[in-house]
Amino acid sequence: MKALYALYSDPDTAQRAVNALKSSGGSLGITERQIVVVTAEPFDGYDFSDEHSQTRIFTIASFAAILGAILGYWLTRFTQLSYPLPTGGMPIVTSWTNGIIIYEMTMLGAVVGAVITLLVTARLPHFGESLSDPAIWQGKILVGVADPPDRSRPELEKHFRLAGPAEIKSTS
Amino acid sequence: MPHKWAMVIDLDRCTGCEACVVACHAENNIATAGPDQAARGRAKHWIRVERSWEGEFPNARVRFQPVLCQQCDDAPCEPVCPTYASYHTPEGLNAQVYNRCIGTRFCANACPYTVRFLNFYNPQWDKPLNLQLNPDVSVRSVGIMEKCTFCVQRIRAAEIQAEGEKRELKDGEFNPACVQSCAPKAMVFGDLNDPNSEVSRLARSGRSTKLLAELGTKPNVTYLQQDSWQNGKNG
Amino acid sequence: MAKTAEQIRGDLLRPVFESGAGYWLGVGIAGSMVLAGVFAFSYQVYHGLGVWGLNWPVFWAFDITNFVFWIGISHAGTLISAILRLANAGWRRPVTRCAEAITVFALSIGAIIPICHLGRPWLFYWLVPYPNERHIWPNFRSPLLWDFFAILTYLTGSTIFLFLPIIPDAAAARDLTRGWRKKLYAVLSLGWQGNPKQWHRLESAMHIMAIAIIPVAVSVHTIVSWDFAMTPVPMWHSTIFGPYFVTGAIFSGVAALILAMAFLRKFLHLEEYLEPIHFDNLGKLLLTMSLLWFYFTFAERLTTWYGNDVSEMNVFWTSIRQNFAPLFWTMVVCNLIIPFPLLAIKKLRTITGTCIASATIVIGMWIERFLIIVPALEHKFLPYAWGTYRPTWVEDTLMVAGFGMMGLLYLLFSKLVPMISMWEMEAGVRKAPLVRRPAVRFEPGGATAKARVADPEPFATDVSR
Repeated sequence: MKALYALYSDPDTAQRAVNALKSSGGSLGITERQIVVVTAEPFDGYDFSDEHSQTRIFTIASFAAILGAILGYWLTRFTQLSYPLPTGGMPIVTSWTNGIIIYEMTMLGAVVGAVITLLVTARLPHFGESLSDPAIWQGKILVGVADPPDRSRPELEKHFRLAGPAEIKSTS
Repeated sequence: MPHKWAMVIDLDRCTGCEACVVACHAENNIATAGPDQAARGRAKHWIRVERSWEGEFPNARVRFQPVLCQQCDDAPCEPVCPTYASYHTPEGLNAQVYNRCIGTRFCANACPYTVRFLNFYNPQWDKPLNLQLNPDVSVRSVGIMEKCTFCVQRIRAAEIQAEGEKRELKDGEFNPACVQSCAPKAMVFGDLNDPNSEVSRLARSGRSTKLLAELGTKPNVTYLQQDSWQNGKNG
Repeated sequence: MAKTAEQIRGDLLRPVFESGAGYWLGVGIAGSMVLAGVFAFSYQVYHGLGVWGLNWPVFWAFDITNFVFWIGISHAGTLISAILRLANAGWRRPVTRCAEAITVFALSIGAIIPICHLGRPWLFYWLVPYPNERHIWPNFRSPLLWDFFAILTYLTGSTIFLFLPIIPDAAAARDLTRGWRKKLYAVLSLGWQGNPKQWHRLESAMHIMAIAIIPVAVSVHTIVSWDFAMTPVPMWHSTIFGPYFVTGAIFSGVAALILAMAFLRKFLHLEEYLEPIHFDNLGKLLLTMSLLWFYFTFAERLTTWYGNDVSEMNVFWTSIRQNFAPLFWTMVVCNLIIPFPLLAIKKLRTITGTCIASATIVIGMWIERFLIIVPALEHKFLPYAWGTYRPTWVEDTLMVAGFGMMGLLYLLFSKLVPMISMWEMEAGVRKAPLVRRPAVRFEPGGATAKARVADPEPFATDVSR
């Protein structure tokens, strides 16, 4: 994939670079989606990271938990009634003990719901090409533009350098 | 009115002869464990005669108590079986379904009377004892739990016979093997739902007690004894 | 003292890519133990359960002891990883992955044991509720079914909890290796890029996992304790079993974690990551659990003794004074007497001290599980049905194989991923910004905007205070 990116050593210069791209990006013919940040660790507290923090995963996981509870309730009650076999003088549908199964299925639902939401929203697994550089594993932060229009490349490079000391690279 | 099978055992009559134990082995295809396995605690006796004594010779006093599956109404062995191999039949029996048993042994631990047994090995009968096996009763293979069934094969045979002849079962028409073989007639078997049966009559006796009744298992085997063991005076 | 990202990755990835002779020796020993167990199990399936030491009335012994033991060990990861994550305790960072790995592997071993202990193990799948031709469903009233669901949920949850933080580390390994390793890590990392959205989703998912896994862990060992408490057996039928077992599980789990950490520290040369402060903190936690364990044990025994129920007192005395007295008092020494000074006195709460305490605790907790199961079964209600138990070579081999399996899985895992979470170490080293800069919005405007920079201080030099 074509990309032009810069590698920064500290998150504040990276933040400046992102700000610059966002302020002038329109005039350079790039959309917000084309601005890519890649890091080797989460940078909570910085805007370039936190602006992506809105998530519905908690709501979805809660709904999945409720689904799990319903599944557990149905499984225990339905199977106990379909082949009713009395044991130990207990009723055919034992609500308290079924509650244990329902509880476990609830938690399983929450867990599975959270994982599925993660995979879908983080677009995992993703086996196509994605913009990255091995330098990020040495602590560098990659700020780049995917598929930049050729005429804007010099402008973009200038913005990258203005933000702070950086290593500019491009892939094609 | 469905039947409710129950047993009454008169401890004042029991002589401890253990004919019931032998008859049970013969009727229900229970293999003997052999001296080595018995020494390791693997002997299977669906009915066993427990001996207890107190005092010193010449004033020793012995009591015999045949203990078998009590076919409890609130059996603790039933809810714990994960595959419903142990469950309660409409006629008040605690059934052991051999096909369903996967051998978790939970039922054996839960039973307070310790009347459940595991087949530690595939049972074997030395020739020619294999010819003596009862065709009405399955032979349980390794890993399966078993216990007294009140000779359910005899119960079912009698019920089917009566149904075929379009009549009611008579009290005393058939008996489990242990009851049948009891020489002093200490054991009585019958339908508790029939108020005129001998079992019902004896169960209402003033001498009746139940084993470990305080546990709330509601056993269907009633023991008759004149004195309570700890407080009794004469034999 | 603070390390750079490059140093962290180098230190933590080196043991993954390089192995010495000692490693292969360890794998060989652990592997042989597992193979011996496979042989013993085949022998058992072929001949029948009679090759064990079980008899009438002791129908559970080593098998369920080991089951409860391993499920107990599996509570290590949950406590450390989940609770410390939620409490935002920074010192957890080097410890989380080894703890989570212990959980997953101990749980796997614990999940296999109930299958192996069946009289007809080839029919274990009858516990799974699926529509079948047998016209029957499993009995949800049975604690064994609750075991099945609880362990299933906990195993799923803890595997996910282990795996999610591995994804970014696998991506690092992918980018830093070549050949078959690169392909392996490409699959393992699920194509992870590392953009902020992925990071936030991952952290949110891990947050949910941490919240969900704690009640699941509590429920798992409670349900395992109900395998005993739901029967009328004297000294099993106790309401204290739920909390008692959970406490014991966390206790033995933390001890196992300390031992694993000491082992990794020495053999993977992680001295600069697993520091004495970690052992100190875990040692304090272990001390708390030791006292809690003692509290529950004392409460249970005192109420039994005071209640003076005939059947219960038989079981009570056989543990305290008679046949099982040597084992019982060894357990008390191992769980309380030895660990207490080693963990309470700061001078003794060193890496060596905590390790000695942990080793005795692991032994003591195994004995505790054994003493809960066997004396009670040997002395149920009717004296005629009392018995004794002695293990056979098959049970001993299977037990050894369990430990071998744990060692083997752990050793193999340490070659798959770094045992310390690299990205979490880095995130812990770097401090968060103290001043939040106002957010900049994207300006889709065209050339008329004339490159207006909304940031008031675009080239300020002192940005991170």
